[in-house]
Amino acid sequence: MMSLHIVVCIKQVPVSNNLKIDPVTKNVIRSDAQGMMNPFDKNAIEAALDLKERHDGEVTLLSMGPKNFEITLREGLAMGADRAILLSSRAFGGADTLATGYVLSEAIKKIGNVDLIFFGRQSIDADTGQVGPIVAEFLDMPQATYIHEINPVQNGKILATRLMENMEQVIEVELPAVITVRSELNEPRYPTLRNIQKSYQKEVEVWDENQLAADPNRIGIKGSPTIVRKVWTPENQKKVAESLGNHPDAAVQKLLEILRDKNIL
Amino acid sequence: MIQKEIWIYAEIHAGTIHPVTYQLITKAKQIAGDKKVVVLLFTPKGYTLETLLQVYGPDEIIIVKNDHLKDAPDSLIADLIAQLNHQRKPNSILFGATVIGRSISARLQAKLLTGLTADCLDLSFEEDLLIQTKPSYGDNIMCEIVCPNHFPQMATVRPNIFVAEKEESKTVLLTEIKNLVFKANKKIVVHAEKPLLSKGDSIANASRVLAIGRGASDKKTLVLIDELAHKLGAKIGVTRPLTDLPQFSVEDQIGQSGNSIAPKLLINLGLHGAVQFTAGIEKAELVISVNKNEKAPIFDYSDYQFVGDAQAFVEAMLKVIQ
Repeated sequence: MMSLHIVVCIKQVPVSNNLKIDPVTKNVIRSDAQGMMNPFDKNAIEAALDLKERHDGEVTLLSMGPKNFEITLREGLAMGADRAILLSSRAFGGADTLATGYVLSEAIKKIGNVDLIFFGRQSIDADTGQVGPIVAEFLDMPQATYIHEINPVQNGKILATRLMENMEQVIEVELPAVITVRSELNEPRYPTLRNIQKSYQKEVEVWDENQLAADPNRIGIKGSPTIVRKVWTPENQKKVAESLGNHPDAAVQKLLEILRDKNIL
Repeated sequence: MIQKEIWIYAEIHAGTIHPVTYQLITKAKQIAGDKKVVVLLFTPKGYTLETLLQVYGPDEIIIVKNDHLKDAPDSLIADLIAQLNHQRKPNSILFGATVIGRSISARLQAKLLTGLTADCLDLSFEEDLLIQTKPSYGDNIMCEIVCPNHFPQMATVRPNIFVAEKEESKTVLLTEIKNLVFKANKKIVVHAEKPLLSKGDSIANASRVLAIGRGASDKKTLVLIDELAHKLGAKIGVTRPLTDLPQFSVEDQIGQSGNSIAPKLLINLGLHGAVQFTAGIEKAELVISVNKNEKAPIFDYSDYQFVGDAQAFVEAMLKVIQ
């Protein structure tokens, strides 16, 4: 039986999508926003644990962010991951997708001997889905993105099905490879009592730039080509809905007249 | 030197062009100023998809025809665009914010070490600087993003945000490029893509849509809605929770992480109107909503409202619509 070393890259996102903007600094007010694991990343961890159970091996969680991201890594350990590494340093702050992908890829090089790298399809806050392919490119690995079906590893290859808007596509990649997963792939497990207890015996390792062979000009704000010039809350262009009345038959009559007037029916 | 060119990646599925490509051509022409709008078309030999693109009137179509482009992996397309980029140095490159567009563009971004803004809702230029407006945190926050010191400036753009307009009279320069290097990649094999079974056209392109939320998700109401959809020639879309029902999937989902729709007629049934949903219906022309709760936020996005039971409303419609 082959043994797989799988890295799962995860992100902590704000619990609420109803965030406020500081009127003075124009920054998102994050301080009181509680964090949680990006939901798609749970599917990524589940996929990794499932493969680990089939093939034997090790699952390492990797995240980049402030120290409080440890809560999210701990949750992943409680799901059953073996090891957790948090890339945390002021020097990493302000990173866009390019700098984030670069730092993650340098960390994966340092971890070494990785067979598979899983990501959730995208984070629900920034919503880019870019970091997986960026890491794949930096590590010169094949990528299979937006995957909703996955087969066990055979002959050093993995067969996965990518779900597009109206199409699907089977992709065969040779390991090592990067896979980003959709929520349709699986139902993430809940932490068991045993795994929660085990997770408390594990340390979340914290690495900063000194542990990586990273180019200082390619990390954090320095390594980020994009700049957020302005942030605002969109004007709620509320419509005032006209009532169709209270009785279904009368309402439908009125609606049909409107639709005929507008040449819609 | 950076050329005054805006490039658009032509996305191809099942032998035809994805509509977002046409939308991007029209938008790029509107904001181009003194810049040229150039479409990148990668196809196997034997296809003439340039004729479909020409009628939307870009300035130029760069055509690469090669049999390695049949079921090409993301990495191959990214590598070819990178080679073209080194030859011609465009100002910017635009993609649809689709599965394919997002996957290729991010790989290309890492090759070119430049910026990429995801899921843009608007684009404009200040001189040669591309101003990119993107939502964050589930469309609750808008960000204006620029990439001032790196080229090309790259963005993916959400489908159905811009309206495609034809310009058939325009003369379009067709440039076939034959000097690109196709590097063999044994590490990935992509099999032919297949249309999803059971589904025809996407709700994204439907002109009439019935959208269903939890308040209309019981078996009986669903049967009635199905009948009404047939009578109206409408497609059925759902909110995120309903994708858990066996008859629906994410391809039927409207909203963030689902489809943006732009129908002439949208009827929302038993649907509350979470921001994740309403993010996908901004381009709907006439919106009618039915919900028992008169305070449901969906009414703030509606032209007409019926406060009441979705099933009763659908039954009333079935009585009068032939």
